Amino acid sequence: MKFFDPHIHMVSRTTDDYQNMAAAGIRAVIEPAFWLGQPRTNVGSFVDYFSSLVGWERFRASQFGIAHYCAIGINSKEANNEGLAREVLEILPNFALKEGVVAIGEIGYDEITPAEEFIYQAQLKFAVEHDMVVMVHSPHRDKKNGVIRSIDVALEMGVPPHKLVIDHNNEETVQSVLDAGAWAAFTIYPNTKMGSERMTEIVRQYGPERIIVDSSADWGVSDPLSVPKTAHLMKERGIDPAAIELTCWGNALAAYAQSGQIDVEALMQDAVIDQSQSYSDNSVLRGQQPRVDEPVKN
Amino acid sequence: MTDQTIILLAQLLEPRLSDAALDFWQKSQREIAAGAEHSRFSALISMASRHAKRVPLTLSEPELAACKNAAPDWAPQHWNLLELLRVALICARNDLTEPSFTESFESLFVYADEGETCALYRALALLPAAERFVWRAGEGCRSNMVSVFSAMALDNPYPVKHFDATGWNQLVIKALFLELPLHRVIGLDERRSAELTRIALDLADERASAGRVISHDLWLCLESSHAERSRALAECLWPTADASSRSAIVLGLARAEQYTAVQQLAETESDIQVAHAIDAALGGQLNQTQFAHLVTDNSESEL
Ligand SMILES: [Zn+2]
Repeated sequence: MKFFDPHIHMVSRTTDDYQNMAAAGIRAVIEPAFWLGQPRTNVGSFVDYFSSLVGWERFRASQFGIAHYCAIGINSKEANNEGLAREVLEILPNFALKEGVVAIGEIGYDEITPAEEFIYQAQLKFAVEHDMVVMVHSPHRDKKNGVIRSIDVALEMGVPPHKLVIDHNNEETVQSVLDAGAWAAFTIYPNTKMGSERMTEIVRQYGPERIIVDSSADWGVSDPLSVPKTAHLMKERGIDPAAIELTCWGNALAAYAQSGQIDVEALMQDAVIDQSQSYSDNSVLRGQQPRVDEPVKN
Repeated sequence: MTDQTIILLAQLLEPRLSDAALDFWQKSQREIAAGAEHSRFSALISMASRHAKRVPLTLSEPELAACKNAAPDWAPQHWNLLELLRVALICARNDLTEPSFTESFESLFVYADEGETCALYRALALLPAAERFVWRAGEGCRSNMVSVFSAMALDNPYPVKHFDATGWNQLVIKALFLELPLHRVIGLDERRSAELTRIALDLADERASAGRVISHDLWLCLESSHAERSRALAECLWPTADASSRSAIVLGLARAEQYTAVQQLAETESDIQVAHAIDAALGGQLNQTQFAHLVTDNSESEL
């Protein structure tokens, strides 16, 4: 079975992760722009970060047969550095329209401050003007209120609900998101918050429509195999295979393919990689036996 | 850049575009030629990906000949359609020789994605006063993305013309490390040197110590200096070499003007393909393109 992890921060992950992900059947990922665990101090850091999302990381993923897409945006935490955030807004269009950029994201609220509001709205406006999908990060504190407000503001600004993905949902927020007609994504966190077991029950209760599973794996304790692990648990617990396919592959594909930046046909085929192209002392492979023309096992 | 080149780019491009893409190209070309602002120019380079895909160009023989004719050694047979569209958009600028273009072109690199970066490096082959971009071209060779390095190093007439010895030797040896086809490094025949030969032979020693094989293309790097080391390497590899490796060795030795050594090896050779390579080597058919044919033909015959 093929999996799509539509929210993962690969810049923080190792090549072991890429290998394990490919072996577990992950065929494609979306890497939304986020913060790095500590705040950046100048716009150049954002330029280089966005540049790595559309360049180096895409290349790194390709060496493991994983298609890498990304979302470009200013995250809610760093929106609070108002001067810097405005500078980043200026350079955002230089990256947001690149090949393989499937959304503006992840954007939204953290503490729900006026500075966050300004940056969120400015990016929603950009997304509407360019007919783009929006990936919203919902806040960890005051989550329910934050989710409702994120949706209301996005709809008010003219984002159509079918182009709106609200992420990091839980049992308390899912109904509001589905009622609004948006996509409801769930981040599977190991040990905390939303685990695979709770996810299974949500799919049982709400069905698979517009529900998306992701890992949001990053530089913290997180699991880049959350999506396939959750799929396996759902199977064990008797969830309909069609529902598993939708929540771990099809829905994310349908939501983000609206960008026109995903070659769905190519994704449906097995990835064929030629690692010998990167067999070098200064690429990501260092003396391992290159794997040539061997379809990635799914 | 001559008008002839711009006309040729359009001739190569237009029959390969869909109607919508053709419309995008024609409008964008007019807009850029009329002096579009940098931000607009940059957006058009990005947006090209919405109109042309990364499909091979599959150029015909007459088209390839026209390319060589338009710019010396320009060989875009491995470009994709999106790259051709982007390069054509760049060449549509009306200020290609001006500082305004230098600044604008450099700034494209800062914001470029992987596909754009490749196209920008490929464009160097066609730009006037291209020595302005020699530092940038070196950055392309320092890239860890094989696609980007290849765009600069393979089929690109820029490095042989503009790189200094250090940059050139690094390019050739990195291509060897990456196991890229060295015969596609334009100008390798002419720019072999004693230093390049030494670095290549050192790399062969390093690989031998590590118990790893080295690509046949090593033999393309050698010239007549360090003759004893080249012969010693040949003698060391020969007993266990397969037919295509033996072809590479004899052609390499001949390129290094070690004809006596080639004749000695010829005495014991019974494989018909290798014998053919030996004849070619002694008959002077040993440029990089001929090398690729002779060595590749052998490996194909083994399948
Ligand atoms: Zn995230």
